[in-house]
Amino acid sequence: MVRAFQLEWLKLRNYRVFWILVAMYLVALFFATSSLMFFLNWLKSVGADLDGIDPTIIPIYDFPDIWQNTTYLASFLKVLLGFIVIISVNNDLSYNMLRQNVIDGISKREFIISKMALIMFLAAVSSGFVFLAGLINGSIYSHTGGMSQMFNEIEFIFGYFYDIVVYCTLAFLVALLIKKSGFAIISLFLYTIMFEPILVAMLENAEYFDGTIWQAIAPFFPISAINDLIHIPFGRYVFQEITDYIPLSALAISTVWLAIYISAIYYRLAKRDLK
Amino acid sequence: MGMILEVKELTKHFGKIQAVNGLNLTITSGMVYGLLGPNGSGKTTTLGMLLDVVAPTSGSYSWFGGKPNVESRQQIGAILETPCFYPYLSAVQNLRIVAHIKKASTSRIDEVLDQVDLSERKNDKFKNYSLGMKQRLSIAAALLADPPVLILDEPTNGLDPQGIAEIRELISKIAKQGKTIVLASHLLDEVQKVCTDFCVLKNGNKLHEGPVNDILNETNTVEIAAEDMESLTISIADFSGATKVKAVNGSLQLELGQDATSTDVNRFLFDRGIVLKKLVTQTNSLEQEFLKILRENG
Repeated sequence: MVRAFQLEWLKLRNYRVFWILVAMYLVALFFATSSLMFFLNWLKSVGADLDGIDPTIIPIYDFPDIWQNTTYLASFLKVLLGFIVIISVNNDLSYNMLRQNVIDGISKREFIISKMALIMFLAAVSSGFVFLAGLINGSIYSHTGGMSQMFNEIEFIFGYFYDIVVYCTLAFLVALLIKKSGFAIISLFLYTIMFEPILVAMLENAEYFDGTIWQAIAPFFPISAINDLIHIPFGRYVFQEITDYIPLSALAISTVWLAIYISAIYYRLAKRDLK
Repeated sequence: MGMILEVKELTKHFGKIQAVNGLNLTITSGMVYGLLGPNGSGKTTTLGMLLDVVAPTSGSYSWFGGKPNVESRQQIGAILETPCFYPYLSAVQNLRIVAHIKKASTSRIDEVLDQVDLSERKNDKFKNYSLGMKQRLSIAAALLADPPVLILDEPTNGLDPQGIAEIRELISKIAKQGKTIVLASHLLDEVQKVCTDFCVLKNGNKLHEGPVNDILNETNTVEIAAEDMESLTISIADFSGATKVKAVNGSLQLELGQDATSTDVNRFLFDRGIVLKKLVTQTNSLEQEFLKILRENG
């Protein structure tokens, strides 16, 4: 794994596009995790009226709720990490470098491991960033404190990490199946933020599907499964019941998808001649 | 001699096309082996299979007497067709990747870049290189791990005459170090000048295999000319050692019998008072032999 990651590191270390994308992602992540107070203040300044409640008193950065709140928001940005993975895989394919790497002396398995190492690295950087942002924002704004409060529900950071790993592995597969990187990126983007969510919302909510098998399989869709790892938390501020844990079913379905992605990647590479 | 490569009944079909058909090869340590054939004869496909980027339809091969393939490839310097590098990285950064994959030290990077004359441009991005520089960088990459075996597929493609001469010299120099080289080419004098052994492929079939020297032997054809061609023609008619005499471009071409040599011809004519201004013993070239093999199997 270390050797595999070093290979990836040598490929990316001096690749400016990669660092620009990572920097842009981190800026976006900063806003997603750390600008909520500004947002609430802005809501107040434009006179938003939430049943007479001052928006700025919503304890959005309170421990331990902060972990679910921030990881939920940060998770929307995982699509950018998917793009980075697609570009990295696509470079190796379009410049014939996978072929050259194999000729020089790696196995296709090592290639897969090196890309998985990149994915883990990206997921770890992102999770680390969200964790630090949570600690800092929490220590500034939280009304609660103490070790037990702070690290209660820290499992959302791990859920977030897993969410990214599974999603980026899907991006890896998409990059192998769709060789034009622009086409791969647009396909993944639209599928993630539009096609599947709309389809799943229809299956779950439309009367037409009520009580049918279609409604039952909705949570098994790939994006739906990883999105279910961290449910939307904001209902708690309007006294709704929310899922404030990582559901085992979502974890299990995501894991099955991860296994499917890796098998498909392996199968795809093993059988293909690298022309 | 150590066994470097053994290929048994290697076959590759692309759909209906038979790219390689039941190929058997044995390459031992120290050979400089030429893989000849017209375009599309299966040379690159064969090398692709030996380097694990093309899956054989059937058949097998083994490197270094059965070492695992990945490990073997780390000890082979290979160029397959066009040079492949990351365009956004410099020569040095690209070679660091190669060194990492081959588990070789990065300390030889400067040395191999020097060897192919790229030292001055070593920090430029690959995408800004000319075709000749790209080709030379791929040779540098092949040499980087100081491998005992080199596979070179058309290594002089795209080079200017000076570059071709340099690469040829480099190959001879490397061969003298006792390295084993497999050279695929359609440039025949390239192969003739550096190879010890060769085989000819056509449509995926091996038509011929053998040492290069066997076919470069002197032939029994001698070309002679003198100031006075008329008396030469008359005199040579009495020479019993010639089986056939033919006038070609102001010279006479003699086919000599078993026992006669060019010395005999010279002495015979001198005794008759004829001094030759030209006496050339023809040798076969690989090109003639190659074309003959292709013709016979056409």
